[in-house]
Formats: sequence, C-alpha cells, structure tokens
Amino acid sequence: MVVHPERRAQRSLQRLVGATQCKVDVYDNIDAALKVIDASTIAVVDAAIAQARPALRELDAKAWIAVPGEGLAPAEAGVLDGLLASGWTHVVAHQMPILAEELLATIQKLMRDQVFGLEKYMAWGAEVRSYTLVDARDRDDVVSSLARDVVGVGLPDRVGSLVSVIADELLANALYVAPVDATGTRIRSAEQRDRSRALAGRDVVTVRWATDARYLAIEVRDRWGSIDLHAIPARLASGGKQATSAEGGMGLPLAFACCNQFVIGCAPGALTEVVALLDVRYKPTELGRTASFHAFTGTADEAAFVGGAS
Amino acid sequence: MTAVKLGRLEAELSPGRVVLRGRIDDSSPLGELAAQVAPGNVVVDTDGVTFINSIGMREWMRFVRTLKARGRVTYERVAAVLITQMNMLPEFDGSAITSFHAQYECGACGAEAVLLVDAVAHAEELRGMRAPKLPCPECGQPMALADFPERYLSVFKA
Repeated sequence: MVVHPERRAQRSLQRLVGATQCKVDVYDNIDAALKVIDASTIAVVDAAIAQARPALRELDAKAWIAVPGEGLAPAEAGVLDGLLASGWTHVVAHQMPILAEELLATIQKLMRDQVFGLEKYMAWGAEVRSYTLVDARDRDDVVSSLARDVVGVGLPDRVGSLVSVIADELLANALYVAPVDATGTRIRSAEQRDRSRALAGRDVVTVRWATDARYLAIEVRDRWGSIDLHAIPARLASGGKQATSAEGGMGLPLAFACCNQFVIGCAPGALTEVVALLDVRYKPTELGRTASFHAFTGTADEAAFVGGAS
Repeated sequence: MTAVKLGRLEAELSPGRVVLRGRIDDSSPLGELAAQVAPGNVVVDTDGVTFINSIGMREWMRFVRTLKARGRVTYERVAAVLITQMNMLPEFDGSAITSFHAQYECGACGAEAVLLVDAVAHAEELRGMRAPKLPCPECGQPMALADFPERYLSVFKA
C-alpha cells in the first residue's frame, strides 16, 4: 500500500512497489488507508504523514515504511530524526534512484521473510569478500585489512576512513555487547578490549564486504541475536546525540552517522546482522544528510541457514 | 618536551601545548595523559590523529573536560576524523578552534583532498555555516567543502 498526498509521488511509488509484482493500493490520505490496513499490509507512507502521525507504526501491519515527502527529494534530517525518535523501524532518507533500490530490497525482504545477507543490496556479479575473526584481538587487523582492500579497489581514502570507523564499531558491538547470559545480562561489556579471547561457537564473528560501484556494503554478524530492535531507532536519532551526551552506547550511532543506509536484522537468540551501506556514486551533499534505517526480524530457520546459532 | 605513548597514540607535552598523533581508541587512556598536562591554558594539536572510535571519543571528552576545568582549551589543526565527531556533540559548540581539516572537492578537476581551514581568518563565514573556498592543490581552481556544512561547522555556529 502507498499513502502519499502527491499524485506524481504516488505514481513513482506505485511503480516501485509494483516491481515486486504484488498488488498495490494507492491512497492520498491516511484515514482512508487505515480502513483497509491489516497485519499483512506493507504500508509505504509519506514522511510528512508519518511525522504528523508517529503512532501509526504501532498499528497492526506487516511493516510501516516512511519515504521522502515533497517531490521525493531527500527527506529533511529533522523529520527523520523525529521518526527515529518515535521508534520507526523503516525510514528511507534518500531520493531516486536510491529510493527505488532501497525500497525494492526492503519490500522484497519483508515479503519473502529473507532478511539476512548483503547480497540483497548488490548488483549481480559483485564479489563478496569475508573475514572470520578467530580471536577478539583480530579486530584491529580485520579493520585495517578491510580499509586497505576498499581503497585498493579504487574507492577514495575518505571512504576507507569511514569504513574503518564503521567496521571497528560494528565489530566492537559484536564482540563485547552482543554476548549475553541466560538472563540477558551482557557478559562481555566490561571486558578489557586488548585481551585475547578465542572466538568459537556462538562467539564467532564474521565480516563480509562487497561493492558494485553503486554501493559499498559492510556486513558484521554475531551469533547471539541479542540486539533490541525497538530500542535502536531512538538511539540513532540526531546522530546519537542523546547517547553520546550520556556517555554510553556511542558505537552504533557513530556507525550510523558514517553511512548512508543502516540495516539491522535479528533472529532473536540466533543471529544479529548489521549491514552498513555507503553510496559511492554521489557526493555526500547529493544524498540525504541522515542515513536511512531499516530493522528486520528474521526467523531461526533463516538464521541457521546463513550460519547463525541454532 | 615530554613524549608519552598511550597504546597507538603518541603525545608530546610541552608548556601550554599538547600534540597528539596516531589512533585514539580503546588503548588510549587520555585521562592519564590529562593528569600529566600542567594546569593553565593549553593548545591541543591533533593534526596527526588518524582514527578515533566511540571509546576513543569518550576518552577525548574526558581529556578535554579535565583540561577545561583547569584553563582555556584551544584546538589547533583538528584532524578531519575528530572535527566531524566533535560536531555531533553539543558540548563542543562554541569551542575555540583556530584551524581544522576538512574534506574538499574540486569542481573543475574532480580532485578530493583533506585541506586545512584557517578558522580565524574565516571566522565570519564559519559562524554563518559557510565553508571557505580553497585552492585545489592539483589545478588551482577553487575547491568546495565536499560534505554537509553541519558535519564540520556546527561547532562554529553563531
């Protein structure tokens, strides 16, 4: 379902969502749409409508996705911050053609219940490279290798620098924040980060990356599935200013601030996957100032299929 | 001058001046370094800082808070990796920054470069959230800031 007040935007969004070959209903006001939305509906809603009615996301639907408003120009950073602060788990920041690529991947992931894997954001043919950490102290080497490899394929140093920060933060999160005990207590959060710790079983952390000259994708997976998807959006709002002011939880907001699209998938108790996408086609100023955000809940079966804990 | 090594960060301490080079991360307890800086006004030069992560940023904030409690802190040649993170934190708004590095792009030849911006000479523009144009090191044409001004200039906002 598409809910947008502008006819031109409706047409674009109808074509984009229609590319999934599913039935698309189009509405210009949310009240009419609400009469037919049910638990199977994926609702693609103008960000201005979402901003005016932030509690929409609590209504029963398969997903609520906020998309840029007027003329499908990049969404205003303030609007996105507000939606994240309100707990929206699908917020698209960017205009066409990124909007098309992002929306199609998001809707297909939701429809197919296949939420894991950076391949969903890459063009066919893009080579995926991976690293598996065998010890917690491998983090620095993996981050250095990744940054070097990214620059080695011809991407600018600026991107290499962003990749270093993103990979470092996502790895730190997977190594020290993700592990929990049976009560949900985070058992590694106070661990010395220069300490050697062999990574086996659920402690295994993997990093993969790929680029198709449109995007650079960095994917980090842990086998704990302990991330709280509902708490994350508010932590990311305003580039993590709330988190940083409180001197806590700065890692994910910092990674979010360094990328253009931030995607988290979680199969509770089995797998957390974070994919950070950098658009390498455009200048930063040609994109939305804030990154898009998407959070997906995956199934235990899919997590087991891609190597999660079972 | 006293040289101090903290993990992968090197520091040079001299009266009224601290120079940092390398990585500010989990291995850089800057609180320990702050204790070695003499009380009073201090200039902090971070030209050689190449990386900072969230733990490093926390250490940086503790370091700066300690120094501020004992005198005026002036930031010189702030590294690009640091200025963007300082712009995310309201507590750095209005900081005394004399110069900083920023990512620039040349519209004429397409070159990308990290350039040093003189924040004193361009103070008025920066307060208005406008980055000065600077000459391209390759073709000499004016280069423009290659990012949203908010990412580099919020700390200068009037």
